[in-house]
Amino acid sequence: MREITYLQGIHEGLQHVLEHDPETVLFGQDVGAFGGAFKLTEGLQARFGEDRVFDTPICESAMLGCAIGMATQGMRPIVEMQFADFITTALHQLLNNAGTRHYRTGNAVPIVVRAPSGGGSGGGPFHSEELETFFCHMPGVKVVYPAFPSDARAALVAAVADPNPVVYMENKTCYRSIKEQVDDGVAPLPLGKAKVRRRGVDATVIAYGAMVHEALRAAVDLQASDGYEVMVVDLRTLKPYDLDTILAATAATGRVLVVSEGWKTCGFAAEISAAITETGFHLLDAPVQRLTAPDVPVPFAATLEARYRPGAADIAAALRQLIEF
Amino acid sequence: MPGMWTLETVQKVEAVDHDVWVQVLRLMVLARKVDEQVIRLCRQGRIRGSSFTGIGQEAISTAVAVASEPDDLFAPCIRNLALHLGRGETPLGIMRQVLARPDGATAGRDGNIHHGRLENGVYAMISHLGAMISVVAGGVMAKRRHGKTSVGVAFVGDGTSSTGDFHEAMNFAAVFKVPVLVIIENNHYAYSTPNSRQFACRHLVDRAVGYGIKGVSADGNNAAEMYVTVRDIMADIRVNPRPVLLEAETMRMRGHGEHDDFKYASEELLLLYRRRDPIKLALRAMKAARLMDDNAFAAMEAEIETEVSAAAKQALAESEPSPDTLDQGVYADA
Repeated sequence: MREITYLQGIHEGLQHVLEHDPETVLFGQDVGAFGGAFKLTEGLQARFGEDRVFDTPICESAMLGCAIGMATQGMRPIVEMQFADFITTALHQLLNNAGTRHYRTGNAVPIVVRAPSGGGSGGGPFHSEELETFFCHMPGVKVVYPAFPSDARAALVAAVADPNPVVYMENKTCYRSIKEQVDDGVAPLPLGKAKVRRRGVDATVIAYGAMVHEALRAAVDLQASDGYEVMVVDLRTLKPYDLDTILAATAATGRVLVVSEGWKTCGFAAEISAAITETGFHLLDAPVQRLTAPDVPVPFAATLEARYRPGAADIAAALRQLIEF
Repeated sequence: MPGMWTLETVQKVEAVDHDVWVQVLRLMVLARKVDEQVIRLCRQGRIRGSSFTGIGQEAISTAVAVASEPDDLFAPCIRNLALHLGRGETPLGIMRQVLARPDGATAGRDGNIHHGRLENGVYAMISHLGAMISVVAGGVMAKRRHGKTSVGVAFVGDGTSSTGDFHEAMNFAAVFKVPVLVIIENNHYAYSTPNSRQFACRHLVDRAVGYGIKGVSADGNNAAEMYVTVRDIMADIRVNPRPVLLEAETMRMRGHGEHDDFKYASEELLLLYRRRDPIKLALRAMKAARLMDDNAFAAMEAEIETEVSAAAKQALAESEPSPDTLDQGVYADA
């Protein structure tokens, strides 16, 4: 066993697929010799060559279009969007071109779109967005969002192996702050399977990405301060999401808080909340609660962003209210 | 004199193998007859929504289809029926597609001209103009990695040339030296918008300079010129991989779709291009070069009409997809 960061988990996943599948290529802006804006792809071009790992002009739509063309000819392209925020200039390629293609023509489009996401480090409105809701809304597209290094590695391998367009969300604040002991065996993460990260009986937090870690901190704090036992579910795949595990966790505590750092209105937390209410209403002892970012552009100042983005203290406060409902 | 083939183009006709010319003429006629059948079905109310045809623009797709190799890839737009037919789609396949039949290329999931069969090297378009240029570029990059000598051809219109996707893809293909021929079929109107509201450069082909690539102009209604032009470009980029921009001047002879009254069309342009119908021009030149006579042409037309009406009849007799198939195949099975 050895300790790796979340960023290393993604890097090792990329290295694994590039090594094991000659049809994989990785491209995007500055991912080659420079090693990427976050140095995540450092060394990959040197190891696998400019044919497999290469820089592109700034052209998110052409990048995705090229990937669709490659994928339909037997390749497994992985496209890095330098920041998830920039996918908005290519949403039609994902929604209309990649997402509809199998349904319309029967041709599979196995592409992986890496989307460095999330705020918390002063990126401001255009380098911090959390856009999972956009992607989850698209028929024909899958969305994964690992929270831990081992899952990050395994989810990358699974996303590449999947014959559909997969948006691979990766949280920038987790890159170097989240560490885990891993072994060297790489197995693909089963897509659509959540994981219970902490057992509890008083309430359940359903979260994904960086919010899993905030929720785990909140659970530890609440146990210390109030003696409450909080269950934490890490969704890992957002589309398709694991309704069975969500309902089992709902049944175990009867009280659910869904946490997301995305925007509230029509957000992914609303989807989970609605799914629980629709199918598990009888399991509930209190209304499902959401804790999300407000419907506000991601602000730059530390004071503003701290208020904007849900943290462990906010989660603990929401849980206390939910448990005492 | 517009409408006439020059001595030079007749010589080009004669310089090409007789079979190729018959193939070119036949494919244009086939596309025209299939389009006319689609229009009839549309007027009879048998097609949902509108119908979009390539009448008057057949020479461009035909030239490409006839000049292409089996491993080549294509991104047709909405005026390229001849490309589909020239790459192996059948009149029956087209009738099934426009009538939304389960055995059509999109099995009723998409309408009218948004289809294509990858086994023919043809990508099904999406309506977002310009989005397919980079797809065909990526496809060609993949083919070349797999050791094929494929080239790609993307068809766009004058309206597409205004989109960001056009720019991104042209620049991308130029940077990566992808052998893709991008043909702007300048048919003077993007729906109702004339060239004067679409661009301010003198010629669309001038944009090639900005991408650092070769730009070529051709008469899109002259099948001989189109064929020789695209054949030479495709042969060249097959061995010297790089994109080329070709502006083919032509004219859409009907509305954007069958719903469109086409009131905005310039009478002057319509008059000019009625005399420059690509099939009439080709036939006249082939007759002058003794490559075709009236009897042979009449027999060709009759044979095609029989095939097309049989296709329509068969497709009409088939059912639409079962509603139970609605949610099947959104995802490929993992």
